[in-house]
Amino acid sequence: MNNYDVIVIGGGPAGLAAAIQAKKDGASVLLIERENRLGGILKQCIHDGFGLVRFEEKLSGPEYAERFIDEFNSLSIEALALTFVTKIKKNGDIFEIHVVNREGTAVFNCRAIVLATGCRERTAKQVFIHGTRPSGVFTAGTAQHFTNLLGELPAKKCVILGSGDIGLIMARRLTLEGCKVLGVYEAKPSPSGLTRNIHQCLNDYDIPLFLSHTVTRVFGDERLEAVEISRVDEKMRPIEGTQQTVECDALILSVGLIPENELAEELGVSMDSGTKGPVCDEKLMTSVEGVFSCGNALHVNDLVDYVSESGETAGAAAAAYKNTERTTVKLERGQGIMSLVPQMLDLNGATSSVTVYFRSADVLNNCALIIKIDGEEKFRKKYAFLRPPEMERLVIDFSAFNLSPDSKIVFETEVTSV
Amino acid sequence: MNIARIRKKVSAVSGGRVNAELKDNCIVLTGEADSWEQALEACSAAAIPYGKIHVVNDITVKKLVEKPMRMPSVCDKAIDGEKPDVLIIGGGISGASIARELTKNKLNILLVEKEPDLAMQASGRNDGEVHPGIDLSKGSLKHYYIRKGNRMYGDVCKDLGVEFRRVGQYVCFNEAWARPLIALYVLKRKYIDKIEDSEIISGKELHKREPNFNGSFKFAISNPSTGCVCPYGLTIAYAENAVMNGAKVMLNTAVTGMQVENGRIISVRTNRGTVYPKTVINAAGVFSEEIAKMAGDRFFSIHPRRGTNSILDKKAGKYMHSVASIKELAASSGHTKGGGILHTVHDNLLIGPDAVETSEKENVATNPESIEKVFSRQKNTMPSLSERDIITYFTGVRAPTFEEDFIIEKGRKCGNIIHCAGIQSPGLTTAPAVALDIEKMALEMLGGAQKNPDFNPVRKPVPTLRNMSDEERAQMIKKNPDYGEIVCRCEEISKGEILDALNSPICVPTVDGIKKRVRPGMGRCQGGFCSPLVTKIIAGFLNEPIDKVRKSYDGSVITYGSTKKGRGADE
Repeated sequence: MNNYDVIVIGGGPAGLAAAIQAKKDGASVLLIERENRLGGILKQCIHDGFGLVRFEEKLSGPEYAERFIDEFNSLSIEALALTFVTKIKKNGDIFEIHVVNREGTAVFNCRAIVLATGCRERTAKQVFIHGTRPSGVFTAGTAQHFTNLLGELPAKKCVILGSGDIGLIMARRLTLEGCKVLGVYEAKPSPSGLTRNIHQCLNDYDIPLFLSHTVTRVFGDERLEAVEISRVDEKMRPIEGTQQTVECDALILSVGLIPENELAEELGVSMDSGTKGPVCDEKLMTSVEGVFSCGNALHVNDLVDYVSESGETAGAAAAAYKNTERTTVKLERGQGIMSLVPQMLDLNGATSSVTVYFRSADVLNNCALIIKIDGEEKFRKKYAFLRPPEMERLVIDFSAFNLSPDSKIVFETEVTSV
Repeated sequence: MNIARIRKKVSAVSGGRVNAELKDNCIVLTGEADSWEQALEACSAAAIPYGKIHVVNDITVKKLVEKPMRMPSVCDKAIDGEKPDVLIIGGGISGASIARELTKNKLNILLVEKEPDLAMQASGRNDGEVHPGIDLSKGSLKHYYIRKGNRMYGDVCKDLGVEFRRVGQYVCFNEAWARPLIALYVLKRKYIDKIEDSEIISGKELHKREPNFNGSFKFAISNPSTGCVCPYGLTIAYAENAVMNGAKVMLNTAVTGMQVENGRIISVRTNRGTVYPKTVINAAGVFSEEIAKMAGDRFFSIHPRRGTNSILDKKAGKYMHSVASIKELAASSGHTKGGGILHTVHDNLLIGPDAVETSEKENVATNPESIEKVFSRQKNTMPSLSERDIITYFTGVRAPTFEEDFIIEKGRKCGNIIHCAGIQSPGLTTAPAVALDIEKMALEMLGGAQKNPDFNPVRKPVPTLRNMSDEERAQMIKKNPDYGEIVCRCEEISKGEILDALNSPICVPTVDGIKKRVRPGMGRCQGGFCSPLVTKIIAGFLNEPIDKVRKSYDGSVITYGSTKKGRGADE
């Protein structure tokens, strides 16, 4: 009774989509969620803008999640909420998933795992902010949890560091709750969040954005009293002598997301330094047979629509998973590519319509994505612009390229003449 | 001791600005120094290592305004009129261990701590190493207590339910030519100083034991008795056991003055009332000089010294499993070994500490230079170290005397005070042994005491479910389902463990208090996910709204109340 074809770990948008797809494809499915409700981080994302690609309408996070939860429930998929995976062991072809919850401990067996564990936020110390340890320093997601789930105001006068999307969303959200947002400071010379969020969350509310600035120090023994802000050089190092002190009672950090892959690493999954997620093939199977990855655990997405899509890809593949041998070839990041998914192709599988996601390393205008195979350009797509914060998606027919395991497939960007 | 020579030395380093004189068996330094560094240099020049005659620093420094000690915000009469047999000032490892040892006797014991929790300063900002004493020579109190203290650790930690591991220490050398010299040094340590576990191991053996260390090491001094412990965990455990056995611990309680008559303390004023102790134990860390002064018994001076440690992700914990440092023979070292790498009892790596003199006793703000310096040095020991694995860092302030030794003695001019001062590294290691001696001194002062027939040395800790087998865990959850609800995912801490901490003998219902006791928020997300949940659990426990919960100090509010407050009837 504890045996399933597919076990999905994580009940956010990726996990929900994976479980639904696997179930639709005929697999027996169990979804394990550590929180008490399904929906993942969407539960606290009460702003709109979700689902534009998939549903062609603007939904709030909970509304978007609700559509999947409704479908999940209508398919009678088994789910365990408030249940935590403590370890995963591989026993032959079977994975043993050890969990703990209020009922006790249990072990579930499956032949395929979908890891949909999401991501976590980078913290103040990980961006080397120094000084004291007062209260009032929050990651944007934590501030959002307090504001939207607990209905508690975490700040009255705040500085936001980092122009990632959650930071921008929180700038607007806190303003609406009566908090004075003094400014959003970004160490990079260009914003990290989506352009639409710069307009809708900052410009519309007269919240200033300071590029090439960062917070270097916090002050206050009890609650935060002020932050020190410095200009940074092109390598993002603070420039001595440019420090200014800004009085505030909160510092909200939106300085990057890190895919959560502690379970994956325990399973021996190979990781990619570009995405900080597992190396996957076009079916989103990791380097470990039977272990699939999707959503923000795979790579940090900026649109939930693509999170769901990758969940469906992984869910379908997990349902269809048979332990057949793969013949893989690498997809490599070349000049100008910051991240690329998938990182390999299984030549034994269907490669005629592979969904590829990539981010450029720099802001580029009038440019192109190029795929070179063994040094020869085989594919080109023009873009008016490419920006690191905006992930690009395209579908490529690799079957046309006559690939072998020895093929050297490199993705690059190129600036075309104006 | 030749005061004329000392005077000459002091005058030389201070440009004639500082004078030294022998007064009441102390070397008292007076004058006005140009800078705090100059005053420090003068005091150090006057100090006689390991002597009984201490430097008292009465030098004023131009333009240096000393910040007053931070006071708790509470002001009441909670302990007014109490007449404890023993008043212990300071809730660090010294005060807490002394309190616990004293509870073996039928005594009324009161411990006061100015901070909102125990182990908030040096004891909570310590690297947790239980030292072997390889750098200590016979003659100092540090040396006298370290061997005893180190040996006691296994039993003490077992009784108090605190995890302790003997992981061993390696002091690593790159210079093959130095081996005969170091071998002699080790023989001296082993046979003369009686640091009996000392031995030299080859580079090959070192790499067998710690394969990720720098391949260039030629040999190392090994001390297998070296251990690691959670320093604040042990302090809290000692204090909890003391409370279980009848002691009273008052947090947020600062000593502000004393009434002294005929060389005896009559009363001690605090922000929570005046108490009338029979004896007082000065375990006040960086403020022990001020306490001594209040008692009319100031015969030493403290010069604060900062140290910064970094904690690395548990993933990095796999790189090494001991305590290690590098000894570079070319560069002369400062007051500590210049920091090291330590595999903590929680399986993180700890890197540090450095040692930087400071004029500020309570400034624990961190600086980037400390981290950079320590990392660049420690990468020589283990090249795989990376700043990218850092999850947090913190600074503590040590409380050394200028003689760099402990002061563990009865008052010289005050008849009912015992000083446990000048405690710095290896003060955590020595604490169990020092506490026994201070207990003896206190009993002498009190003219003896009856044994406490109910004394129970065993403290049952909050269970750590993540370390249990599935079966054990299931049994625990059956008894209490809260043990099955994980709140902190990084450290795998359940709601049940958090509630246990709230119901422990010394309840500190703050986010930091809970974090120190059962570790939610200590992991790689640093409370990003769990801090709202922990805040909510504390609010529920206190039966107060969320905005009443604090991170630590009274002013460390987390939220400013409901977003829906005062919005009219439509809500």
